[in-house]
Amino acid sequence: MRTYEIFLKRDGQEEYRHAGSIDAPDDELALLLARENYLRRAEGDLLWMVDRAHLLIGDRDFVAPNSDKPHRDNDGLLVAAHRKSQREST
Amino acid sequence: MNPITPGTAEFLLAFADDEHLMGQQHTEWIGIAPFLEEDMAFASIAQDELSHAALLYAIVADDGQGGPPDDRAIDKLAFDRTANDYRSAQIVEVACTGWAHALVRHWLYDTAEELRWTLVEDSDLEPLKDAAAHAAREERFHIRHADGLIDVLLRTPDSADRLADAVRDLLPLAMSLFDPVAEEAEAVEAGVASAPFDTMLPEWTDRVRTRFPDIDIGSVSAPELTGRTQRHGDFPALLARMNKVRGIDPTAIWSDATVRQ
Repeated sequence: MRTYEIFLKRDGQEEYRHAGSIDAPDDELALLLARENYLRRAEGDLLWMVDRAHLLIGDRDFVAPNSDKPHRDNDGLLVAAHRKSQREST
Repeated sequence: MNPITPGTAEFLLAFADDEHLMGQQHTEWIGIAPFLEEDMAFASIAQDELSHAALLYAIVADDGQGGPPDDRAIDKLAFDRTANDYRSAQIVEVACTGWAHALVRHWLYDTAEELRWTLVEDSDLEPLKDAAAHAAREERFHIRHADGLIDVLLRTPDSADRLADAVRDLLPLAMSLFDPVAEEAEAVEAGVASAPFDTMLPEWTDRVRTRFPDIDIGSVSAPELTGRTQRHGDFPALLARMNKVRGIDPTAIWSDATVRQ
């Protein structure tokens, strides 16, 4: 058995969203089983499936170094506070 | 629209009973199919077959007038007849307790069913024509599902042997699908069907041969034709299971649709 990840999209502007995963022996059955397991109630208009073995995966070690850089969260609040304090001190 | 003739009603009941019992048999794999995804898929296909049965029973129930479906009238035809009055084929009545047999029956049945709907796709009976269009959209996926599983299983010698045994066991019963009801000719004369169902037997046989080339289909003895009046020995138990819950309270209301009526 292979494991496949399933993404569904409705017509319109919604993006593809992860719906779940299934086990299937090959691609053809994966498509057919996904149809009967995830699309029985018109949950989407379009289907993407990918064999999990074909996913490119960034693991925790790969992602973690960027988790301690709050200066990249540029929401402008710190700058605004700084300018306000400068105005008030002059 | 003219009311349907008794012969046409029999023709439609045979089709409806096959769909109904096939759906019922498939649903009995819920929870025990070989793997979770198949469990769900097989039951989902079963629901499709049950919905086809409901469409066909509805046509008989309101004499082909195309009115809104009457759930109680449909249930009466589906559940409340005596064994002798059913017109199902023995292939949908026999108990298939092994997965190989259930899967092979799924393939044999749906291959025949797909051909059967083509006989009524241009029917003069409008609700039947609509039902055929509805069913045809689903049937191509049923066949792909059965073919997909069989393709995978044939690669393993043990599985291939089990499938071959199932085909040999079930072929004679499957041929009984083409056993016509008496007066089927009325349905053809009335323009309800374009031809008798047994005219599809050669095409069906060709497809069986292509799918299972190692089986000598010529050596299979065809079943005795009874006009679908003889029930298989497994039928009474099946009918009892179907009515087990319903029989607890026959007056119970089962759906919002029924409440609204």
